[in-house]
Amino acid sequence: MMHPMQILQAALNGQPAPRIPIFCNLLDQGARELGMSQAEYYSRGEHVACGQLAMRDRYGYDNLWSLFYVGREAELLGCQEILFADDGTPNVADYFLRTAADIEQFTIPDDITRHPLWQEIAHCLAILRREARGRFPICAYLTASTTLPALLMGMDKWLELALTGPFTLRDQLLAKCSDFFRKQIAAYRAAGADVLLYSTPFGAASFVGMRRFRQFSLPWMQRDLAPGGIDGVVYYCGTAPFNAVIPEVMQQLGITAHYLSPQDDLAVAKSIIGARGLTCGVIDDIQMIAWSPQQTRQEVARLCRIGMVGGHFLLGTGVMPLAVPEANIRAYLEAAFTYGAWS
Amino acid sequence: MFHSFIKAYNDAVFDTDRESALQVIDKARAHGHSPEEIIFQLVIPAVEEMMDTLSEDPDANLAQHFMTAQIAAEVSEKMLAQFSRPPATVGRVVIGTARGDLHSLGKRIVTGCLKTMMVEVLDLGVNVPAEQFVTQAIAFDAQVIAISAMMVHTANGPEGCRKVRQLLRDQQLEHRFRLVVGGAPYRFDEQLFQQVGADAWAADGVSAGKVILNCIRELQP
Repeated sequence: MMHPMQILQAALNGQPAPRIPIFCNLLDQGARELGMSQAEYYSRGEHVACGQLAMRDRYGYDNLWSLFYVGREAELLGCQEILFADDGTPNVADYFLRTAADIEQFTIPDDITRHPLWQEIAHCLAILRREARGRFPICAYLTASTTLPALLMGMDKWLELALTGPFTLRDQLLAKCSDFFRKQIAAYRAAGADVLLYSTPFGAASFVGMRRFRQFSLPWMQRDLAPGGIDGVVYYCGTAPFNAVIPEVMQQLGITAHYLSPQDDLAVAKSIIGARGLTCGVIDDIQMIAWSPQQTRQEVARLCRIGMVGGHFLLGTGVMPLAVPEANIRAYLEAAFTYGAWS
Repeated sequence: MFHSFIKAYNDAVFDTDRESALQVIDKARAHGHSPEEIIFQLVIPAVEEMMDTLSEDPDANLAQHFMTAQIAAEVSEKMLAQFSRPPATVGRVVIGTARGDLHSLGKRIVTGCLKTMMVEVLDLGVNVPAEQFVTQAIAFDAQVIAISAMMVHTANGPEGCRKVRQLLRDQQLEHRFRLVVGGAPYRFDEQLFQQVGADAWAADGVSAGKVILNCIRELQP
């Protein structure tokens, strides 16, 4: 019997398997599972690892997450405050790059793995690795250099700097963020992450347009990924649809695995990626809040019907909101195992 | 004459080229047009045209929305300072991000567009309690309460639009204000705005300007 890591490898390589890989991203649900507040849960790597293992055991999907919350990267670089909410995702409350001088003086630590907050991530990864024993893919989330400044200074300030300059200052910040990315991806690889979700809305034409994607985003992405290569890297634009850039991402960056937006046309993505890589179809889990289990199953069936043609397909969720009812999580997974079977 | 300026201005904005857009304005000024003419015959028609274009163009991108608002707000501020008398206000709006939400980009795009359209905007900032939306809307004599929410729990949770609606109901103020929401969760579930008690929603910042203007007109005698 194949284990989930082998099923994922089979999907990547177009080899036979009993079913497609099935991902489910239940991050904040881990705190609820352990009966903790978000702040308490995310304070220790051990909590996050236990929460993620418990969620996977409960529902039986394929992946494990080492992600605490997206703002953790900002904390590694100087953010002092995260706004926790027990009904949703934590967000950055301290945009510490406020002035041009802040950007100029901002430095990237030589060794991010010595940061106490990184050590909690490493501890989480060590537990996940020990428990997974190579059977379950362990996922990590990494923000690209072109998007990381939004976590450090706020999206509107960053977009203003990115689009209107001063461009020397912008590029200075980007170089620092790219250096951080390189260190972080190396650290995640060393700690045992298998699937490296490379997240960047700035890598979507729906965010910056095609011209700016080519002239601005692509060169910085090449810089981010140059030293470590693309092994295990999955392209993701944080729910921004990105079908239009897939050919150039494959050609210029060599990334063949794409975790789509629910708003991307899955058939179009499949026709672009085909057997050259892995198409990850994503259910709209915001609609899952209001859908019935029957509607959830119908949508899974639709995604599988389109995505499984020719193989090389994975089914996943976004960051499943806490408000998604238990019945719909179960409906998603039952349907995924049913319609995702190759027999 | 203004038609060619509008086209050149919008071509530059569509291409997110701030410098070229500002050059069009300078050129119009050099041709002897007054600040009032620039705003009412160039910038406002250009923004209205851009609202239609971006709302209908499936390939429109966030950078274009941001620059539309950014450039229009910059030009408006400059020109308004040179008006011979203050312009008539089209309406009043209070805007902020929902309780627990710190994302300010959408609010900034909407505010830039509205100010250009001569709507007075009171920006309540981020992480705004529901009570504050209502008390400030009363004090500002607004027609519209605009709530931005980028996260599912702030768009759909009990402390955002749902609570503002409840407060309006409790205080018998529903006839006085229109409630408009925007932000990513509403794009993924187009029925969500109704579930949280909003009167209208917009898929993006520039469209929000148009939706809010329509709401203001509905409430005007």
